[in-house]
Amino acid sequence: MGEAGQATFAMQTFERIHPVEFQRRFLSQSTRHTGREFMQFRSLQVIKGAISTAQGSATVRLGNTTVVCGIKAEVCEPDVKQPSSGYLTTNVELSPMCSARFRPGAPSDEAQVGSEHIHRLSAHLLDLTQLCIETGRAVWSLSADIVCLKHDGNVLDAAVIALVAALEDLQLPRAEFDSATGMVSAERTMCHVEVKRGLFPATFTLVDDMYVVADADDAEEQMAAASLLVVMDRDGKLVNVWKRGAGLMSKETVELCVNAARVRMAEIAKALH
Amino acid sequence: LNRADGSAQFSAGNTSVVSGIYGPVEAKVYEEKLDRAVVEVKFRPDIGAPTTKDKWMESAIRNTFEREILAHLHPRTLVQIVIQLREGDGSVDSAAINATSLALVDAGIPLKCMITAATCAVLSDDTTVVDPTQEEIDAARSTHTFAFASGSSTGPLYVDSRGDFTMDEYNHCYDLCALATERVLAFMRTAIEGKVTKEAKISAA
Repeated sequence: MGEAGQATFAMQTFERIHPVEFQRRFLSQSTRHTGREFMQFRSLQVIKGAISTAQGSATVRLGNTTVVCGIKAEVCEPDVKQPSSGYLTTNVELSPMCSARFRPGAPSDEAQVGSEHIHRLSAHLLDLTQLCIETGRAVWSLSADIVCLKHDGNVLDAAVIALVAALEDLQLPRAEFDSATGMVSAERTMCHVEVKRGLFPATFTLVDDMYVVADADDAEEQMAAASLLVVMDRDGKLVNVWKRGAGLMSKETVELCVNAARVRMAEIAKALH
Repeated sequence: LNRADGSAQFSAGNTSVVSGIYGPVEAKVYEEKLDRAVVEVKFRPDIGAPTTKDKWMESAIRNTFEREILAHLHPRTLVQIVIQLREGDGSVDSAAINATSLALVDAGIPLKCMITAATCAVLSDDTTVVDPTQEEIDAARSTHTFAFASGSSTGPLYVDSRGDFTMDEYNHCYDLCALATERVLAFMRTAIEGKVTKEAKISAA
């Protein structure tokens, strides 16, 4: 195509066939293709109690990324080594429904890594002895399923917020263990569980080896050289700093991101309550 | 490992990790990339079948090494990194990274730099321990693993800090691990030089 033809290229066509160049045009001018600032996060919306059949649930919308977390509670026997502790298992599901990137079948590597990472973070959320019904005989086992409905980048942040919100929404019936029959009976009164630490995530992505942007969307994630996850608790102490990918982020950049994460924490706290 | 193109064993205390490299070999048609080599990592635990924990480790190692391997020199091939944990007693992730670095050199895979890693833990009495054992990790308030590219001091290549910590503790651990990785690099250099001179003697004889 000649120069005149290139000048009349529709923007959408350019975005399709030269996605990297398209993004660079914005990034080199210190802005992003959606008009956001580099360190600006997308608007966050949290709706608790969306799923009536689950004991706890929450829907999180982070821009166009939508994630739902549902928690089901079951009674089971505790581990012999920890007779007063219940269980909290987390699973992240990234199905073809949320993005063309995923194929049907066994969980993708991204889903497994996400599941594992959230499982590790969730250890900080609850004191599992709260889930004890009768030491050594019966405990609550919570299984949290985090399903991504729409993938427009930064599913991990949305998933963590959804898990925290679902746990805050969770109501368990008061349960009594009858040692004669070995059965657990549930009363009508419901009670919440205490979320111990609170997790406030913020993901920063190194795009095109040069620009650090907060809360990357799908188009920006495709160009990611590295990404940094910072998770804080409500007192501002760090719970997790995790850098994936080998693109270089300087020590100063990491400090900048941690400070931005602190600001983000207030935004998340507001959306949760 | 004598069937692999390159291999190395890295031990620190009771932790022992073996890394084997196969490649560059032919990649499957649906997996291959036209302009670069595909890097695949398999992590096998010491006991039991692989779980999502090992998948996490595989992903971490692949993300770290993918860009440091000069993959453009071997398009449409596969570099397979197989890591076997022989005995785990803490600091497994840094041992795995160090073993893989050495194994890649042994296999002759072109690299941008050497990657070295170290782990440290902040204990409940606020002391910091480099290369903690599993017992120390279980009792620690936070654990931090950093990996650096040799010759580059701008920033870390890989960071995994977990627990309950402040930014000051993070920076302190960062500095400690940076020092520790320098020692690891020196040790690697000695190990590689020793092997190369030994091989030179054998082929000269």
